[in-house]
Amino acid sequence: MSLNQSRMGLCALLMAVLFTTAAVSIDYSSSLKAGKAELQSAGPLAFGPDGILFVGDSVGAAIFALATEDTVSSSPGRIDISGINEKVAALLGTSADQILINDLAVNPASKRVYLSVSRGRGPDATPLIVRVDASGKIEEFSLDNVKHARVTLPNAPDPDAKDRRGQSLRMEAITDLAFVDDRVFIAGLSNEEFASKLHSIPFPFEKTGNGTSVEIYHGAHGRFETNAPVRTFVAYEIEKEPYILAAYTCTPLVIFPVSSLTAGAKVLGTTIAELGNRNRPLDMITYEKDGSRFILMNNSSRGVMKISAENLGSYEAITERTDIRGVSYETIDHLKGVQQLDRLDETNALILVSTDSGSLDLKTIALP
Amino acid sequence: MPRFISTVTSIGSHEARVLWGTSLRVARLFLSFKSVLVCVGILTLTILSTSGLPSTIAIRLENQQGAHPIFKVVGWDQIGQISTQSARFGMDQWQALFAVYVDSGSFEDALPPMLGSYRIEDEALIFQARFPLQPGLRYRAVFTSASEPIILRFEIPKSEAIVSTTVEHVYPSTDRLPENQLKFYLHFSAPMSRGEAYTRIHLLDERGEPVDFPFLELDEELWDREGKRLTLLFDPGRIKRGLVPYEEVGPSITEGENYALVIDRDWRDAQGSSLKQDFKKFFSVIAADRETPDPKSWLLNAPQAGSLQPLSVEFPEPLDHELLMRLLEIMDPQGNFVEGSIQVDRHETRWQFTPQEPWREGNYSLSVDTTLEDLAGNRVNRLFEVDVFERIEERITTTTVSLPFRILSE
Repeated sequence: MSLNQSRMGLCALLMAVLFTTAAVSIDYSSSLKAGKAELQSAGPLAFGPDGILFVGDSVGAAIFALATEDTVSSSPGRIDISGINEKVAALLGTSADQILINDLAVNPASKRVYLSVSRGRGPDATPLIVRVDASGKIEEFSLDNVKHARVTLPNAPDPDAKDRRGQSLRMEAITDLAFVDDRVFIAGLSNEEFASKLHSIPFPFEKTGNGTSVEIYHGAHGRFETNAPVRTFVAYEIEKEPYILAAYTCTPLVIFPVSSLTAGAKVLGTTIAELGNRNRPLDMITYEKDGSRFILMNNSSRGVMKISAENLGSYEAITERTDIRGVSYETIDHLKGVQQLDRLDETNALILVSTDSGSLDLKTIALP
Repeated sequence: MPRFISTVTSIGSHEARVLWGTSLRVARLFLSFKSVLVCVGILTLTILSTSGLPSTIAIRLENQQGAHPIFKVVGWDQIGQISTQSARFGMDQWQALFAVYVDSGSFEDALPPMLGSYRIEDEALIFQARFPLQPGLRYRAVFTSASEPIILRFEIPKSEAIVSTTVEHVYPSTDRLPENQLKFYLHFSAPMSRGEAYTRIHLLDERGEPVDFPFLELDEELWDREGKRLTLLFDPGRIKRGLVPYEEVGPSITEGENYALVIDRDWRDAQGSSLKQDFKKFFSVIAADRETPDPKSWLLNAPQAGSLQPLSVEFPEPLDHELLMRLLEIMDPQGNFVEGSIQVDRHETRWQFTPQEPWREGNYSLSVDTTLEDLAGNRVNRLFEVDVFERIEERITTTTVSLPFRILSE
């Protein structure tokens, strides 16, 4: 074999390796460009692959993907910070009543906690991302020069455009988002018409408006079909197929396969539980414990609920009024005032909880 | 013996000055005062050593009311040395030297330093705060030199609150609401603050007792971009038949009863001032509305050609005010949108359109987006809740319904 032949063979081998690698992994960062991420508001957060943080910007009617480049666990461990609202406010040179902590998300790669924050409570509030680690250090994640991408919400009201009568009062509040199966799913709620819109946008973002929006209907004991807004949702895998498990503003817990969410489809979700009056779902996480799968859900008035997530795929929808309201659940009574929830690691969750004194604490709790 | 002199004068900036000698004893004496130097004006603290001419270190606050106030350390004799090293400084090193803190609250000692940027300029160490200082709040600037820290506390005077914001309108404006009423729109005269809506809005029954959890409480309060309009949804779980909340505790409002929607004056606007006064809307409750709005039942009164008189559309029931402002359009004989202004009145049972240009003779149409809702959230193309057993609804799948009308010549 000549030297040239050897080189060609080596090149071919290298090409084959490269192509094989390309075929099995997506370069999620390819669409992210360095520069200032011009968020108009910072709402719901969700982590995707490679430390990419997705931020819902309701005011800007957009989703941002931010490369945190925070992919190494620096100081893992429990995160317990009293008065996180006062401390974040102090970082921003103001008092706790002048900020809002809108959401939190744990970076699964580094175990740092990211908070979306508004400095100010009026319409001109400054959006920021703040992060916290187990050492208690609180710092800003600067948006000034960060690799990022922005995509507008499908069919959302354009924040810069006024209609022909000069009015622009309609907005869509992003209530939750998640990265599932190479797509960002976004639950939105209009401040005018009452409807359920679940948007799905492929990631990496390709172009503006390449997402789809579907309406999700669900039954109430099989009789009255509604399309109320999704409050929060979580990805859930059943027999290797991704599902969305969604909690509605009107209390049912509904499941539907991701594959059903095609453009223009009317999706009828399966109601698997009703969580009763005054249940106001805020966040959900899924986890395994002692070989069983569970969902942990916090809501503003009933504390935290632990819901059995076994065999959800074969669960029969609630079709008539019975005393058994779908899957079984229990309320963790001592966990009151939990405003935000995310999974910290395999055995712990992180909560943002309000105390009687009015301050907010970040606390690590063992998954129940 | 060292002399300890402090003077306070009042001019428009803040400064603490220490004539810094070699006597650590004096420095400790200085620190023993815990530096409670809350100043409004110039506060000058002078410490003279027994030997030679002292060096003078002072902390100044400049651009106090600006977007990025500046805290400046001047008179530090090691500034030149630091200047050569500072290119390699990270934020932690800068903050170890000079940091500014919020000096209030129960976590005073554990609060992180404020965000900002550092530089050395004209032999001064400068911290430029990222955000404006908040009137009414105390701050603490700490300069930690090689010897002992210098601490300056100061308070930004609170500006006088201007109380002028009011609730301008609440829609629906009618005082008769269906039992399955879906939402209110609250319009304020100025931008409001977020995060306290549900503690400031109350629904009282006719005995004056608050109704428990009548509304859907969302973290993401449904404001418009200007922060002047809040959308307040009734709890849909107590509207939809068949759901546990509806079956167990019933609707938030009950047919035949009277209620008051009360908005506290304590609700702060975006400037932090409370509302000028409480607001109350009294209403009585009629039977639930479970019928879709039917455009065929609307009464159109067309004006004459050549006039600028409004086209009037009358509905047999009140419709959603905000959607009426957005979802009805007039199309001219060529199918183009007609420019003009809208007025909605008579408790949202009448919609009027005044064109910018005079009407011309011909066939116009009123285009109705079928997402238009009545007070109970029933759309033109879909009921709020669909009874899938009875299938009483014929679904309209189009996105608009067109109602033709003719403009006649005079």
